[in-house]
Amino acid sequence: MSVSSKFGRVYVVGSTFISATLILVIILFLAINSWEAIRQSGLRLFTLEWNPSKEKFGILPMIYGSAAITIISLGIALPLGISAAICTSEILPSRFRLYVKSLLELLAGIPSIIYGLIGIVFLSIWVERAFDLQSGRTIFTGGLLLAVMVLPTIVTLSDDALHNVPQKYREAAKSLGFYRYEVIKNAVLPIAKTDIIGAALLALGRVLGETMAVMLVIGGIDRIPGSFFNVLVPGQTMTSKLGREIAETAFGSLHFSAMIFIGLILLVFVLLITMIALTFFYNPEHRLYE
Amino acid sequence: MSRELANGIFSAVTWIAMGLCGLILIFLLAVMIWNGIRAVDFEFLFTASRNFGAGGGIFYQMIGSLLLILFAALICFPLALGTAIFKSEYLKSARVQRLCAVLVYGLNGVPSVIFGIFGLVFFVNVLGTGISWFVGSIILAMMILPTVVLATYHSINSIPEIYRESALALGLNKWQVIAKVLLPQGIGGAITGLFLGLARAVGETAPIMFIATAFTGVEIPGSFFEPVTALPTHILALAQQAINEQALQNAWGASFVLICLVTVFSALGLWSRKKLKTVGLR
Amino acid sequence: MIKSVAITSGILLTVLIVGCSKSESIQIAGSTTILPVVSKAAEQFKMKHAGVRIIVNAGGSGVGINQLGEGTIDVGMASRDMTEAETNRYPGVHFVTHTIGRDAVVPVVSSEVFEAGVKALTLEQIAKIYKGEIQNWQEVSGPDKEILVVDKEQSRGTRHVFMEVVLGDEEAQAPGADLVLGSNNEEQTAIAQSDAAIGMLSNAWMNEEVKGLNIIMMDHSVVQPTLENIVSGSFPITRGLLLITRGQPREDVKRFIDFILSEEGQQIVEEAGYVRIQ
Repeated sequence: MSVSSKFGRVYVVGSTFISATLILVIILFLAINSWEAIRQSGLRLFTLEWNPSKEKFGILPMIYGSAAITIISLGIALPLGISAAICTSEILPSRFRLYVKSLLELLAGIPSIIYGLIGIVFLSIWVERAFDLQSGRTIFTGGLLLAVMVLPTIVTLSDDALHNVPQKYREAAKSLGFYRYEVIKNAVLPIAKTDIIGAALLALGRVLGETMAVMLVIGGIDRIPGSFFNVLVPGQTMTSKLGREIAETAFGSLHFSAMIFIGLILLVFVLLITMIALTFFYNPEHRLYE
Repeated sequence: MSRELANGIFSAVTWIAMGLCGLILIFLLAVMIWNGIRAVDFEFLFTASRNFGAGGGIFYQMIGSLLLILFAALICFPLALGTAIFKSEYLKSARVQRLCAVLVYGLNGVPSVIFGIFGLVFFVNVLGTGISWFVGSIILAMMILPTVVLATYHSINSIPEIYRESALALGLNKWQVIAKVLLPQGIGGAITGLFLGLARAVGETAPIMFIATAFTGVEIPGSFFEPVTALPTHILALAQQAINEQALQNAWGASFVLICLVTVFSALGLWSRKKLKTVGLR
Repeated sequence: MIKSVAITSGILLTVLIVGCSKSESIQIAGSTTILPVVSKAAEQFKMKHAGVRIIVNAGGSGVGINQLGEGTIDVGMASRDMTEAETNRYPGVHFVTHTIGRDAVVPVVSSEVFEAGVKALTLEQIAKIYKGEIQNWQEVSGPDKEILVVDKEQSRGTRHVFMEVVLGDEEAQAPGADLVLGSNNEEQTAIAQSDAAIGMLSNAWMNEEVKGLNIIMMDHSVVQPTLENIVSGSFPITRGLLLITRGQPREDVKRFIDFILSEEGQQIVEEAGYVRIQ
């Protein structure tokens, strides 16, 4: 092989090696640094109280918060987004499509810190007034904010999924005398189903991993609400905890290790969901542009 | 229930859903644009910030953001290019391809705060670089790597075989084929991916807030190992003083500028996707 | 093509080498209480000494101490003393403190609560509020509203000083807390946004929306959070504002600290609402 060919080969193999191992390095680092906490606290990491000065590192409140916020935000955004997507894809006249799609793409790209700003300035005040609460910084506010944030993504992806269903299925159904609703329900949706589920899972991953918007409106209290389903109180998610406290811990201390453990759990959850989502997607490649 | 009625209800429900979504999203845009435009003027764009950000402008924040993503692009580009070429031209086994895809695209799902923490642990602490904008660029490069790899892979892979075959028939070796035939055509896809990746990177806060940014006193950094100040972290600081009228106004202004940057990069990405399409995709 | 690659890498390498030298800048981080003073002082100092770069970051007293201990920064701003745990964490480091001023940590309430009549509380009442034993303003002769108890992150200087006096333990838990926030700015915003909140802030952060309470002492005297009372020491929750360095500060850092201790610097301290060192 000539010199340039060898150099070329080293270059591409090297780059791929770096790119492929990056994620492994990250996981490894998180695992190594949380080992201390696992070793010392073990299963006590899954308790309810977080008090670093007393060496208590229970992370259940954070997991509860993350789970609650995810359920609330997807519970609002999925039905709303998918219905809206059905409208834009199937019912809306096609000349509007370009504008609607561009608008959605624009909104999907808005940085999360700006949603955080909107959350503090508008949403938390509205929630406070609407429910007559002490403070608008609650788990519910976080869920609502994330629902709005992830809505454009869900609409776009679902719309794509529906749009990709070949026209012939619709025509076949129509020729059988189905109404539009029946066409959609019986012919289009079943085919688009896997893509839509993939979209939902991607949205799930994104919501779980969102830090900035949540951090500002959730209240920062490491507690599971007194009554388990009461989400109108302040709480804490894994991401918010990390964002707020990681800089305060001394590198190498047990506190630090416990924080890294939170990061590890978060990463594992999100990666699992993303992997599952990718297997659902018919063509995963297109949408990584998000 | 008659089928007609069901149809009507279904239609109504989806229209309402769309209307609701539309309202929410238009409200968002209106708020951001209305508040943002009022806050931005020439002075705002070109003065340094003062007083926790409540006074002054965002000049150095813009420079910081642009510096961070410029170097993120410089670091990411060669890496992504190499990876995409390898995947497209050298990897034959489907299983290895799949493994590679999983590993690289998996990076795309990592939450941004984890990137920040990784940067903090690995660079700032273990390697002892301190708070450095360059490390911030490295982390941002890692973050957008999958996007750029994907776009490049797509465009190189779709170049018809005939090009490779003709070049080989002319006596070029593999690397020359890549460098002189495939790359010039495929580079458009890489650039597209880069723009789209940068659109995302410029708005990220969590990766850089621990490891690359400082609050005041930073202007143009003098070396690779100094902090900068950037738009997203500036907005974060301002959001924490939301009750202060002036700070809030500056927050909207900074947000508006940030959105403009994101839009510019996205638009560049879309434009280049059209303009620089490879032969195979035309 | 090989040529262009070589040229570019040559340029990059030069940039890399030039850029790798850590330039002499003074890196400061820590308490958001001291941040305004140091930022302002840095601005003025830079006007007199061109070429000096002073970079200031927030994060809280705990972060400042940590980063100082690890050597990432040159000066840590702390609005509290270092804890034993912190000193033990960095056994090789000799920490030197420089006091640049004093202020008070005042229990603050939303202006609506203040105007409704709650202008003073005993330390015990405040303790009970933070422990969750008193939950409604009514119980302390205020309006009938649930108290929104605003707490701070555990490593913050303001919290340490407050909790030491109020709950007797600088790292005490506050079971009655409803929100846990970070910087002074964030806390001020939350209290101003609410109409029934109580929190802990430096006296310099009080304004029309965020009113400081007077403290009723054991002997039933009422102490106001005024500057005179801070200077005289009669206000029970006061603290020194500290700049901490590793060992004796190096030349340029020393000059900056001396500047803050000088007349000009102390004027900045006073303009920020704090008390100068005596």
